[in-house]
Amino acid sequence: MPPFIEAHKLEYAYPLEGGKRILALRGIDLAIEQGEFVALVGPNGSGKSTLARHLNGLLLPTAGEVRVGGLLTSDSRHLWTVRQQVGMVFQNPDNQLVASTVEEDVAFGPENQALPPAEIRRRVDEALGVVGLNGYRTHPPQMLSGGQKQLLAIAGALASRPACIVFDEPTSMLDPPGRRRVLETIRRLNAEERLTVVLITQSMDEAAAARRVLVMHAGRIAMDGPPVEVFEQEEQLQALGLDLPPVVEIAHRLRERGTPLPTGLLTVEALARALC
Amino acid sequence: MLIRVEDLSYTYAPGTPLERVALQGVNLEIGPGERVGVLGPTGSGKSTLVQHLAGLLEPTAGQVWLDGVAAHARTAAARARRQRVGLAFQYPEDQIFEQTVFREVAFGPRYLELGAAEITARVRWALEMVGLDSPAMEGRMPLTLSGGEMRRVALAGILAMRPEVLILDEPTAGLDPRGRRELLGRVRAWQEQIGFTLILVSHNLGELARVAERAVVLARGQVVADGSARQVLSDGESLRAAGLDVPQTVALLQALRQAGWEVRTDRLLPEEAVAEIVQAAKLGLAKSVSLRKPEREEARL
Repeated sequence: MPPFIEAHKLEYAYPLEGGKRILALRGIDLAIEQGEFVALVGPNGSGKSTLARHLNGLLLPTAGEVRVGGLLTSDSRHLWTVRQQVGMVFQNPDNQLVASTVEEDVAFGPENQALPPAEIRRRVDEALGVVGLNGYRTHPPQMLSGGQKQLLAIAGALASRPACIVFDEPTSMLDPPGRRRVLETIRRLNAEERLTVVLITQSMDEAAAARRVLVMHAGRIAMDGPPVEVFEQEEQLQALGLDLPPVVEIAHRLRERGTPLPTGLLTVEALARALC
Repeated sequence: MLIRVEDLSYTYAPGTPLERVALQGVNLEIGPGERVGVLGPTGSGKSTLVQHLAGLLEPTAGQVWLDGVAAHARTAAARARRQRVGLAFQYPEDQIFEQTVFREVAFGPRYLELGAAEITARVRWALEMVGLDSPAMEGRMPLTLSGGEMRRVALAGILAMRPEVLILDEPTAGLDPRGRRELLGRVRAWQEQIGFTLILVSHNLGELARVAERAVVLARGQVVADGSARQVLSDGESLRAAGLDVPQTVALLQALRQAGWEVRTDRLLPEEAVAEIVQAAKLGLAKSVSLRKPEREEARL
């Protein structure tokens, strides 16, 4: 079976005034399997969001191709199937909420698919249950906290029953509690609901929660591997302008100063256990 | 400038169904040249508080004094003091509207009715401070700059006002790690060079630990902690009670302490935590780490 998402020699050039172009993606080869949890990191302007927008046909390649479930995103006959399979959740929840109550907001996607009312109801209930917003169905979205709004945006994406959701820096405007809740929800959706997750993030700590980390730089994929392996390459990460998560940095420095520590320590608990 | 916040309360939309108490009886004094970090979860009142410091909101009760003058008053003395408080909102680049970088940075100083030569001098100085000083840059359209550059232009516009108090609300949000490091390094350098009062609102404990000497924690509209940054940011219990994270260095040192290590837990930066752990291990305060370590390593191999 072919991979669920497949990019082949993907290039994308943003058109500029006066016929000039900026090459944002410079030849991406990538395969993402059903059920994976992939974190996409890289400095500002490295092409993360441009790549993400290719995964559900919001942008179409200027060269090369992207397939989702075997279907070419650039074939307009498949666009709706592709978008139904790959949902997107963006940075600013305020920009993606459309209705005057929580449940109407979640119903927006299924309604547009012209589903029967009973099915819409079922999906809304299910999606709100999964993100834990059951108690807020009749609330106006603007009265929710930032974290709750982002959970609502996730419920809205889930109601279309996608196989994959691409999260574009979903926590960067949230406070620590909101951030934790959203991240826990994403992790659970992947582990329990078998949702394929692509998580774009500036936080290496969040990337450590994924099972695979892609590091982008200047429109290319510079590193690709499990978090443990990627974080081993401290010099390369720093050369790319990225930081290590604090725990990994502490472990590195301790090792440099002669404390023998195993590799692969990504959490405070793991590092403390290894030291004791 | 001396900032005194006295029993400050603020309620949004009072008497309507949307009524919301944002601040309740806040007391705070910030002296000239202090570096203060303000933290707290969303909705804790941080932004409402800093807007009062800049005189942008009128207190529902209580008062904010800037060198003894009510910050929001409609008097010449109050206006003069407000002009010395620079406030950069979150994503300040969203408020850029001029056609060139020069005009954007000159907007504030022009409002101060300075002479043309003084305005030019201030714009050049401010652009130098943010590292964007070149004749080519002055003529650029702000919208053709990168996100990080636009933010620096927006901050230059505030620096050009030569504030005595600089308030930055989440100044590094949305920047990548290198951009964050660079901007924070600049902010620290400005503070050292110019000596203004710095008030930094941030969710990022690592950033606060690097920049602030004092930390104020807000929760539900009240000040729940106020003290040295080291003490406040290493008090896991009160941070958690306020709905905040504990810095990972502190969490690690606390876990080691529980396991019997004699380490201080108020180490906020990774390099400080490492030094603490290495020293404890060396002094044998760590239940003979050096002996047990190799065994574990071998077991893994």
